[in-house]
Amino acid sequence: MSVDGVSDIFGKVLDVTGINAESDFFALGGDSLLATRVLSAVARRYGVELSFDDFVLAPTPGALADRIASRS
Amino acid sequence: MTERMTQVAVVGAGLAGLVAATDLAARGAQVTVFEARDRVGGRTHGIEVTTGRWVDGGGAYLGDRHTDLLTLIGELGLKTTPTTMDGESRFAFGATNQTRPGRFPPLRAVPLGELFDLLDDLVRGVRPEAVWSSPQASTLDSQTAARWAEQNLRHPDARTFFPLFLGEMMAADPADVSVLHMAFYLRSGGGIRYLNAFESGAQQDRVDGGAHQMCQQLAAALGNRVRLTTPVRAIHQDRLGVVVYAGGQELRCDRVVVAVPPKLADAIDYRPALPVRRVTEHTAGGCAVKVHLVYPEPLWRAHGLSGWSVNSAGPLLSTVDDSPAGGGAGVLTGFVTGQEAYRFAALPYAQQRTAVIDQAARLFPELPSPIGFHLINWVREEYSRGCYAALFGPGDWARLGPHLTAPHGRVHWAGTETSTEYFGLMEGAVRSGHRAAAEIP
Repeated sequence: MSVDGVSDIFGKVLDVTGINAESDFFALGGDSLLATRVLSAVARRYGVELSFDDFVLAPTPGALADRIASRS
Repeated sequence: MTERMTQVAVVGAGLAGLVAATDLAARGAQVTVFEARDRVGGRTHGIEVTTGRWVDGGGAYLGDRHTDLLTLIGELGLKTTPTTMDGESRFAFGATNQTRPGRFPPLRAVPLGELFDLLDDLVRGVRPEAVWSSPQASTLDSQTAARWAEQNLRHPDARTFFPLFLGEMMAADPADVSVLHMAFYLRSGGGIRYLNAFESGAQQDRVDGGAHQMCQQLAAALGNRVRLTTPVRAIHQDRLGVVVYAGGQELRCDRVVVAVPPKLADAIDYRPALPVRRVTEHTAGGCAVKVHLVYPEPLWRAHGLSGWSVNSAGPLLSTVDDSPAGGGAGVLTGFVTGQEAYRFAALPYAQQRTAVIDQAARLFPELPSPIGFHLINWVREEYSRGCYAALFGPGDWARLGPHLTAPHGRVHWAGTETSTEYFGLMEGAVRSGHRAAAEIP
């Protein structure tokens, strides 16, 4: 289930615990530099290359997992 | 008490030297500060862009983690003001300008993420308190950041972005720094996210009215103990103490704090000679030229722009809104850094001015011509020899690192390059000044 996988990536990049499907990356202190690190981890794990603009429109594990599913 | 007051000479009236002198004076030492320039402040330098409105021609930014600097600002009765980033950014990568929300450039995110992943791995591997003993230190110390990029960055967007990033973070041409120094610098400043960020990062705030006020106030309190236009040329130690030769003056004292950048510290004649020099042939000065374009007000804001731009071609590689708080002027600050700064620094002033104003007109066609123009060429500043800070090239950390803070007899070392915390920043300078003062019995 990629929601769990993306939550795991958020947690590692932001160095926080308790990420759920609705957690907003930018509200948790994420910025554009850290966002690129989420996207490189997504590319490694799921083989899907998303853009920064994709991420801005889908900044939660739930929404990002949907984007990954629609591309893979 | 019949005990004689300790006599201390401080070389350099920048932040580090003046903080050291102030600490020592407060402890009852008799201090004399020798400054080569006709002003105090070192790599902080105020420019009055219009009556009563100042901008920073040198060191400017700070963040919450810069605790010693914030304490000093508070003690002096100064205030900070946030660096504003509201609005869209402009990017000139290639022939056309692009306008985008936020600070993210029009490049592929995944290759940039991979670049930051690699940098973060390097940063986490450094032992900042003893850089030369970090894992794989000798390998990382022997390679330049330019060579590292050739070997590790495959995607053209990462290759485009890397030198811009290093220029912004540490005013370095990747060919000038070792991989070890790059990793150390980024670690010392708080890591890549903190060092890169404005809000919640190292560029969050500025000193309201200019960072130069800190040194001016410290110097004012020291009064005639600060001697301007008095470059120190020699420091000779004998059985009785130390003699400092500065301008036409000789001062016999008990201790000396040398608080100037490594290249300048190295140029002083020491007797006995230093066991290890302060620089090697691989040590470079930070390459930064800072430019201010002055407008009647921050006119870009009416166009929804933040003033932030990133440009793949120079001279200005980035711009930021540095308008003074309280209105009265709009100031776009431009940075020329890295390899581009070497080329640009060598041009005559008139050509520099034309090149910058032409570029600003292409980048921000909605703006009128600026009403004021200021340029500080730190590459050519005789008494700084670079900015933000000295750049350690291949082999430097192994040779210089273990001796950065080790006293040479009665001679002690300060300056941001002697601070393993916030090296290259104002915070590092302040910390080094406190540390050097505390070393003196």
